[in-house]
Amino acid sequence: MLSGLLDAAAITLLTLGLIVATIGLYGVLRMPDIYRQLHAAGTVSGVGVIAILLASVATRNAAVIAHAALVIAFVLLTAPIATHAIAWAAHRRRAVVRDARDTRGHPVPPE
Amino acid sequence: MPDVAVALALAWTTLLLVAAGLILLRARDTLQRIVAFDLLASIVIALLALLSYLRDTPYYLDAALALALLSFVATLAAARYYAEGRPF
Repeated sequence: MLSGLLDAAAITLLTLGLIVATIGLYGVLRMPDIYRQLHAAGTVSGVGVIAILLASVATRNAAVIAHAALVIAFVLLTAPIATHAIAWAAHRRRAVVRDARDTRGHPVPPE
Repeated sequence: MPDVAVALALAWTTLLLVAAGLILLRARDTLQRIVAFDLLASIVIALLALLSYLRDTPYYLDAALALALLSFVATLAAARYYAEGRPF
């Protein structure tokens, strides 16, 4: 009973991680400028990879779970810093904003 | 966890790796190449984790940790080099 529940949770986490990673990659292909591409790329390294690593609980192997927890802690710590460094570099080099829109979807003229 | 589920997830993650390679090939400027390399590193970390579940050994996760460390430093250095002309 409990074992089946653990398996179901792990399969759900794997599916969630893979779906989020697929949507993130599609977003990077689709988005018009670097800032919005970074928004999509952040979901892959954030939710996608961490959900796949959390699925390690179903292996019932203490060593695998401990190592996966270590990788989760490291990815949680470093992925936002890396994304922020890329966004900072884009801002510093005045990366172009294509097809800018306000919160209601109306086009915004470039400065 | 059933091995079939992990094997299917491995196959799907390999397809995602191909998609990230396409993003790298389509990149128009240096920043997009840096983003694509970051994505490739994330996907290889997921691939190594799935391989570790399939073989039931923790050593592949050590490789994933080392890859996460290297890709973090590489992304940081590349972004800072692109912005300022020197890494640190």
